[in-house]
Amino acid sequence: MDVYINSTGHFLPGKAINNDEIEEVLGLIHGKKSRLKKKILQSNGILHRHYAINTAQETVISNSEMAANAGRNCIDNSYLSSNKIKMLSCATSQGDNVLPGFGSMVQAALNISEIELSTSHGICSSSMMALKTAFNAIKCDDHDNALVVASELTSRLFKHTRYEQVENNDVDFNAEFLRWMLSDGAGALLLENQSRPTGKSLKIDWIKSFSHANAFPVCMSVGQAKDEDHKTWQDYATYSEAERAGALLLRQDVRLLDNIVAVGVQGFLKLISQKHVDTDKIDHVLCHFSSKYFKSKIFDMLETAGASIPEEKWYTNLYQRGNTGCASIFIMLDEFINTHDLKVGETIFCMVPESGRFNCAYMHLTVAE
Amino acid sequence: MENKVLTPLGQECLQSLLKIWLDFDFSLNNVPVVKRLEQGRLSLEDYQTLLLNLRQQVIEGSRWISRSASSFDRDYSDIRSIVIGHASEEHRDYLLLEQDYVATGGNVEDIQSAKKNMGSEALHGFLMYRASQPNPIDLIGAMWIIEGLGNKMALKWSKCINEQFTFDQSATSFMDYHGENDEHHLAELYKLIDRVATSEKNIENITRTAKVVAKLYKLQLEEVDNDE
Repeated sequence: MDVYINSTGHFLPGKAINNDEIEEVLGLIHGKKSRLKKKILQSNGILHRHYAINTAQETVISNSEMAANAGRNCIDNSYLSSNKIKMLSCATSQGDNVLPGFGSMVQAALNISEIELSTSHGICSSSMMALKTAFNAIKCDDHDNALVVASELTSRLFKHTRYEQVENNDVDFNAEFLRWMLSDGAGALLLENQSRPTGKSLKIDWIKSFSHANAFPVCMSVGQAKDEDHKTWQDYATYSEAERAGALLLRQDVRLLDNIVAVGVQGFLKLISQKHVDTDKIDHVLCHFSSKYFKSKIFDMLETAGASIPEEKWYTNLYQRGNTGCASIFIMLDEFINTHDLKVGETIFCMVPESGRFNCAYMHLTVAE
Repeated sequence: MENKVLTPLGQECLQSLLKIWLDFDFSLNNVPVVKRLEQGRLSLEDYQTLLLNLRQQVIEGSRWISRSASSFDRDYSDIRSIVIGHASEEHRDYLLLEQDYVATGGNVEDIQSAKKNMGSEALHGFLMYRASQPNPIDLIGAMWIIEGLGNKMALKWSKCINEQFTFDQSATSFMDYHGENDEHHLAELYKLIDRVATSEKNIENITRTAKVVAKLYKLQLEEVDNDE
């Protein structure tokens, strides 16, 4: 059974926030302007992003509501009515509630009945896990269609008050880094077992991923304080104790981050050697790189490998829509499809490297008749 | 870098070699001494033991390169020249390791009299065997892995070591040396790949040797923690 992406949708909360406005939304830590902000923004190249919190750091829209809005947008663009949806597969790095699963909350917000439900948990690549689950369900003829939604509301972790709780004002570079990288938003894809005559149906040729958690330490995390080897957030006597220790901050081990380039390229070379992909036959590349800096690193390494893909084939909306974690690739695909005149047979290669503990997912799409 | 691999077969070979290098690179993260080195938990004794173990392979390393040079016949005389140049450049590298060992406070007689570990024995044995075959072009695969590791040592390990220890004089000259010469060596390797990756059979031989050398080099590093 072939599987097609027949519709896409997205939701970005509020107005676009430019670089000068970020601290108005997230707040100044101890009333002081960040000294790292400019440097990190220069390196990632992001110019605009959206936040689901307002300038008083109050949540304006929840993560599950954002997901539902993207899902509705996707269904509205499709041939189906929402009561025909058979499966809902959702992804986020952190739902509004710790429990139940994010998918349950999204289903309720969408108000769709008796669907098969799946929730993928992780960071950037969790959307690809959710997509693969839905792809497989249609592939093995379990369902005719599936709605896949990925959504992120990380700005709640970046409120100035979060950092101000940490004992001895001990906010290091690794704890502040992602404050200038990530923002909020949701994306959705509708999969079906038949193509639609929109000229924009994309056949999913394959989805593959390679995880290297056994070979690398944790690189991006919430739940562990700096220099703490074993103890995680629930091991503290109280949550406030965990917060004071800095165990609830979103951290990135910047020293390990360069490994993500090698992980991404290794998987790509593996797919080439397994004959799943031919660099000469790729028409478009949609890669979820987190910053301009990494884009150039990926380019260099592919060139070293003799596997480079010309720059004009690469598309991203990172700089205008921000890095929305797992939602990024769906938001990117949505805007790409809507701004490009695609021709039958053109191929799209998608790549989602996740630095969490080094997982990289890939997908190959072909524009269907 | 101007020297790019140009032929389609050369590109295919290069892609396979980089893939093998990355697999090797990732697998090293699970080698205990490498883990400690990269995660800031290396003891001074660890570093000394590492130098001591590396020296035994490096001092033999110039032998397999020299021997392979003599195994290239008239049809490969251009390669022979390059390999001889390479051998002459590197045949005294072990002295840097001895110098570094002494800079860490080690006794030069200890490093000079130590034996090869079991991984080094296997690696050296394999390389000498391949180098003795007629026209051993597959050894380009071995050079690729060893150059790659030199590059990693220079860019990463040397930095990690100098963050963990303070020495009166440099104790990472071996690792740093490989960084300084890396660009030149890599350009040379690219040229060689285009020259010898002229058939699927040749590519298969080159990648096979690269894989074996990667595996045995990993064994050599694992054995650093196994005192006999």
